Amino acid sequence: MIPKIQELINQAQDRYLATDELGLMESYVSSLPDRLKLYKFIRDREIDLLQAVADQVPAEIPNIAEADLEMGIKNLILVLRYCSMAMLLNDENFLKERLLNWLEGIMSMRDTRRLNETLYKLLNQGLRQSLNPNQLALIQPLITSAQVTLIY
Amino acid sequence: MISVAELVKEHRIPANFFDYYAYVKGDLEIGLLENRRGDRLLAVPFTLITSLYAGLTKETGQASRLVLFNCGKWWGKNFYIRFTESLEEYYSQTLAEMDMITFVQSLKACWLTHGWGKFEFDPQYQAQGFILIKTYNSPYVREIPDNKLPTGYLEAGVLTSFFTKLTGRELLATQTTCESLGADYNTYIVGLPERLESVESLLFEGLTHDTILQKLLK
Repeated sequence: MIPKIQELINQAQDRYLATDELGLMESYVSSLPDRLKLYKFIRDREIDLLQAVADQVPAEIPNIAEADLEMGIKNLILVLRYCSMAMLLNDENFLKERLLNWLEGIMSMRDTRRLNETLYKLLNQGLRQSLNPNQLALIQPLITSAQVTLIY
Repeated sequence: MISVAELVKEHRIPANFFDYYAYVKGDLEIGLLENRRGDRLLAVPFTLITSLYAGLTKETGQASRLVLFNCGKWWGKNFYIRFTESLEEYYSQTLAEMDMITFVQSLKACWLTHGWGKFEFDPQYQAQGFILIKTYNSPYVREIPDNKLPTGYLEAGVLTSFFTKLTGRELLATQTTCESLGADYNTYIVGLPERLESVESLLFEGLTHDTILQKLLK
């Protein structure tokens, strides 16, 4: 959304914005209170959410090496931070350009598929338990996009 | 047991140091661009590179290749120091502790963000003592009329000293394909100089990269 709005802002010298263009801005602005609320929620629960994920991994993958788990959790922290910002900005490209392109390169050379499948499964479970359906609809597509890019 | 609180304690989890939006900064009022460490960045006009090449050829003729290769080596030496310092600082790790994937990904990202084109690292012949580097859209190769040899002298120089510094062994980067000769990308073979010394004459005979590589691997 932000890049689209940026484009509209750049029209200022040429013309006034049309009604449907203003509608685009209005709908984004009116979605902001919900986005901010969700952003603050995830920010304040970051440690709890991810600690719960980390704690459950050994039950699913008993022989997991601590170093691998730490690397996986660190990447998951980054993914959740960038997803939250992308949600706030309503800009999926922010997530792709700023983080996923990088992580994809880093992770493609390591055999981390099983760990990551487990991490995302647990994270998604955690989010489903703590968020209401409207909130999930805001953040889940971004997490899924990360998951699809990084695992498959 | 992993403690997430411990992992996020310093708030910052490093990702890509060369992320374009975080890396390029500027104080445009006084006309300065800087990178995220505060080192000066500048956009070199393409016409300047062309002019430097033209001037060098006029003044030094055939020797301009060697001059450019040596300039590249100087650049590579300093580039290596800056590059590794930046990464060590950003990841709070020494180079020895850093994993190879992060290092190589950072090198690629560095190339892209500075507008030097796309950089690929191909380690499939590492066990036989060679590394292949490919660059796309290099600003440093140029077309010379009637020339049949690759012209990425600066890039060959920068890669030569970069990998020499990195491995602590005297290495050479020799170019075998070149965008200026119609190839899709520039290929550099990095290896020990004595194993690569035949490359130039093989290129001169008109042999392709694949044929030359097969000869080297024998």
